[in-house]
Amino acid sequence: MSNIKITDELLIEELKIRFEEKKNSLEKLEKLTKELKEVNKKLGESEALKSHFISNITNEIVNPFTSIVVLSKNITLVKEGDWEKVNRMARLIHSEAFNLDFQLKNIFVAAEIESGELFMEVSNVKVDQLIESVIESFTPETEKKQLKFEFITDNGEDRSFTFKTDSEKLRIILSNLVDNAVKFSKNNKIIIRRWLEGKELFISVQDFGIGISEKNQQVIFDRFKRLDSGINSLNRGHGLGLSINKAILDFLDGDIKIKSEKNSGTVFTVSIPEPDQETGSFSADGNEMIFGDDEIF
Amino acid sequence: MERPKHFLYPGAIFANTEPYYITTILGSCVAVCLYDPVIKIGGMNHFMLPLWNGQGLASPRYGNIAIKKIIEKLEALGSSRSNIKAKIFGGAEIIATNINQFMIGERNIRIAKDILHEENIQILSSSLGGKLGRKIIFDTYTGEVRQKYVGEKK
Repeated sequence: MSNIKITDELLIEELKIRFEEKKNSLEKLEKLTKELKEVNKKLGESEALKSHFISNITNEIVNPFTSIVVLSKNITLVKEGDWEKVNRMARLIHSEAFNLDFQLKNIFVAAEIESGELFMEVSNVKVDQLIESVIESFTPETEKKQLKFEFITDNGEDRSFTFKTDSEKLRIILSNLVDNAVKFSKNNKIIIRRWLEGKELFISVQDFGIGISEKNQQVIFDRFKRLDSGINSLNRGHGLGLSINKAILDFLDGDIKIKSEKNSGTVFTVSIPEPDQETGSFSADGNEMIFGDDEIF
Repeated sequence: MERPKHFLYPGAIFANTEPYYITTILGSCVAVCLYDPVIKIGGMNHFMLPLWNGQGLASPRYGNIAIKKIIEKLEALGSSRSNIKAKIFGGAEIIATNINQFMIGERNIRIAKDILHEENIQILSSSLGGKLGRKIIFDTYTGEVRQKYVGEKK
């Protein structure tokens, strides 16, 4: 009899395990179905965005170009000696051209990412100097909005800090963050911080603008997403910048985080690890092929 | 046998008409090596997740995009579809992958097989699954792929 009793217990135990497994797989299935629905919805949205894309892009390229053409023609008509007027119009041309250049670069980078033709060009980058040069490139824009940058590093005034990374990609990331901060800043200050945690580089860009609601923080990296979109000409840009940043950071194995409160501003923090030494030297190692234990396919 | 080497990063693709050694390191990621034995060219992708979920850029980080892209790329370089052959690698189940992405290696393998099947591309050989990462070197001129198992990698 005792034998049977043990078997019963075992049976119950086994049943319990089976039920648990079934419950788990049901949960997984439910989760998958939910994800699938979400993706379906996104694809629908993406399709809609795609059809608006051409008209959006047209506006953002054609409008600045029209301004540039008209303004430069007006300059040629200015009477001799009226430098003030020339200067004013040249500034406007610069501003339009700067924006246009920025947008086009982003579009090309996005195309590069989407075609998978991304390379890593690692070098010792003077990060602080790079940050300063990015800030500098926004000068006419920031003058217009009377914005001041505060740049804080853990090296004080010393700008000689170097970090192994891809400088061109870091520049794109920074430009997009600064561009975003400049666009949405209401207050007259933008704070950029740079620090090191272990072997990871951190840079944060903080503005004191309109902020981003929690719901919108979820979707902000989606391509072509512009929050609270409307005909508000103050909020230009087609939302490519942040999705590009996300994609580049994925490529660099880094991360981007948002901290924001509606109406009190936003802090974007990016973190970038130093690239893997092994992969770096791996590509350059000429003797890789002679190991005897390779399997051949 | 001396030819340039290209290290392929996750999310990128590479193909060239010149002979290359393409190398990459795979964990749960999958790499599809395409080879055209007629004109002796090849290309490789390296994707991390099976499907693009509509978030962010539609980059070759995702299998459904990466496989289509590498086929297009080879065709653009002069291959005709009927000559293209595939070898696929990776898709290991490495513990401590993201919690919400269970069986990611398995799903990466599935998508690679499914899409290659849909596109009528024959899979000549493969080394898939398991628990170990892989380091592969693809000779785009001979179509030969050398593989070595490596320790934990993403």
